[in-house]
Amino acid sequence: MSILILKDVTYKYEGAAKDVLRGIDATFEAGRVYTIVGKSGAGKSTLLSLIAGLDVSTGGEILYRGTNLRTMDRDNYRAKNIGVIFQGLNLLTNATAVENIVLSMHISGSKEKDKKAYAYTLLAKVGINKESADRKVLKLSGGEQQRVAIARALSHNPDIIIADEPTGNLDKETEADVLGILTSLAHDEGKCVIIVTHSKRVTSFADEIWGINDGKLFRIK
Amino acid sequence: MYIIQNAFYNILRNKGRNILLGTIIFIIIISTVVALMINNTTGSIIDDYRSRFASEVFITPNMERMRERAMAEAAGSTGRVRISPPVIPPEQYIEFGNSEYLYDAVFKASTAVNSGNITAIDAELGGQAMRGTIFSGNEVSMPTSFYFSLHGNKFEDFREGLRDLAEGRMPENLNECIVSSDLAELNGISIGDKLSFTSEIFLRGGSSFADTQTLETHYELEVVGIYYDATDEYMQGGRHNAFTNRRNEILTTYETVVAPFLPGYSGITISATYYVKDPDLVPLFAKELYEKGLDSIFDVGTDEASYNRIVGPVEGLRSVSITFMIIVLIFGALIIALLSSMAIRERKYEIGVLRAMGMKKHKVALGLWLEMLIITSLCLALGLGVGTLAAQPVTNYLLAQQIQAAEAASQMPGLGGGAMTIGSIASTGTAVSNAKPLSEINIMLDLKTILQIVAITLLLATFAAFVAISRITKYEPIKILAERN
Repeated sequence: MSILILKDVTYKYEGAAKDVLRGIDATFEAGRVYTIVGKSGAGKSTLLSLIAGLDVSTGGEILYRGTNLRTMDRDNYRAKNIGVIFQGLNLLTNATAVENIVLSMHISGSKEKDKKAYAYTLLAKVGINKESADRKVLKLSGGEQQRVAIARALSHNPDIIIADEPTGNLDKETEADVLGILTSLAHDEGKCVIIVTHSKRVTSFADEIWGINDGKLFRIK
Repeated sequence: MYIIQNAFYNILRNKGRNILLGTIIFIIIISTVVALMINNTTGSIIDDYRSRFASEVFITPNMERMRERAMAEAAGSTGRVRISPPVIPPEQYIEFGNSEYLYDAVFKASTAVNSGNITAIDAELGGQAMRGTIFSGNEVSMPTSFYFSLHGNKFEDFREGLRDLAEGRMPENLNECIVSSDLAELNGISIGDKLSFTSEIFLRGGSSFADTQTLETHYELEVVGIYYDATDEYMQGGRHNAFTNRRNEILTTYETVVAPFLPGYSGITISATYYVKDPDLVPLFAKELYEKGLDSIFDVGTDEASYNRIVGPVEGLRSVSITFMIIVLIFGALIIALLSSMAIRERKYEIGVLRAMGMKKHKVALGLWLEMLIITSLCLALGLGVGTLAAQPVTNYLLAQQIQAAEAASQMPGLGGGAMTIGSIASTGTAVSNAKPLSEINIMLDLKTILQIVAITLLLATFAAFVAISRITKYEPIKILAERN
């Protein structure tokens, strides 16, 4: 089932002479893992920002369940429909892991009664125990922070999860764990998982591999 | 609800920054509490004194104008120039009292009298003349010595507890009077007795004594009461004779005293005190009096000298406190704006994260405002307590400074003068007042002050938050995060 459709999407930074993204067409479905690969500066993160609703395309349209993101309340979209695992993680570092999750649930308007208990469950699911969950993010290891970011992206049960280099700073064992979680989210829970990566190992977990070069998206596998 | 919770957490998470911000706000609040408490307390005091002093209107002859007029009238004459104020007839006094600007008008009158059927206390000390000896050619007219004084509507000693009715009642109708128990005892006066008095009124026909015409007037009064008198028998330092002995005062109604009055004649002293509804109405009331025929030789005013002497330092204190508060608020607000601006720059990333998570701008703004409000409220609670404790000593110190400054100013030559007034027309408005300045103020924290402080605190919190919020609205999460990453 198509959950996200990109139609002739273009993007140009303010004042730039050239489009960063050009005529991008793609369809993303629920229950599948997608990876987008490309060189640095190819436009991967820009594309992710557009899909995440953090920015608006300068041309074309991005349809979420048939609705153009341009016309949607994009704050609401980010809060409820999409979970983003940023490359820089973007966690509230002076808050605890569990506080990060609970706050995300609040922002999304989650109906969960005991949000804290649910946050602990989510964190446990990504391998963060209670002790670590109660520590400030700044005091967690890189791998733990990555897991907290995943848990946060899942906290509001979104349809789409996008991850920008989610295993960039991780050792192989943790990388496998994280990729296992993301794959499971797609295959077992029906989420649409889109991963931007440089890593060939990551692409091996994908159902579809897309490449991006000079602002053009093309399917590799 | 979670925004409030998050605001609390954020305050605890950023203790250092918030303690700094809180300290500044705390100092501003203490200063504001002290200044507002001083301002409001002094404001009440000033209003109270203003209504007491500045609402009581005096009609006083202007000495300079009087002299000018007398000189003009006597031009070419060889006799002595006599300076005397024109007489305001009782009808005019009463007419003046019919004004929409007044809430009350009190009339009093007095005259010197003699009696053929009673003896004055201390009669052996003699009486007192009301006019000088008149020489007219070879004729010499000796002045009459009076032994009693007849007062209309002079009952303030009863209100002050210095006199009290021993029997009977107060005079209410024409030709009713009360006498002191000493005078009653000396003469065997009882309630219902009739007393006869004679007096004199004078008509000055020109600028010299020789032209003065004297008319004998008569009073037939019924004694309706006898009063105990605890006032000083004689004024301190005054002449001692039967006339100046206060036990010889016959008290009656205003109408009784002025009954024999004739226009243009003196000999009956009339005074009127008018109370304006608002001190600001005095100029309007004065205008009305001149339009009703008040001679331009008279000034219409209030007892500003006493008011200024008593309240001047308090007004100075109020002014100092307000100036201080304004300066503190302006500088405090600037410092808070700077701190808020710096704090928000520091928190830019956090805001970017929240916005990326889907938190709406207005909720981020609300969160920041709540943080500021919580910090400010804590400072308010502490500031109210500390400010209340500090207000009294600060006030005492500042007031002492103001009194000192006022005294120093009054001792400088050229200051502290004023118009001369004559006591025979109206209650005297003292130009150089002996009134003591207020040396103590009991500073109070009332509801009005609390509400004002709360309002200022809310504004302060809102201002600080506004500075931060105005910056947020310029930020897009993608830009913030891109900068960070």
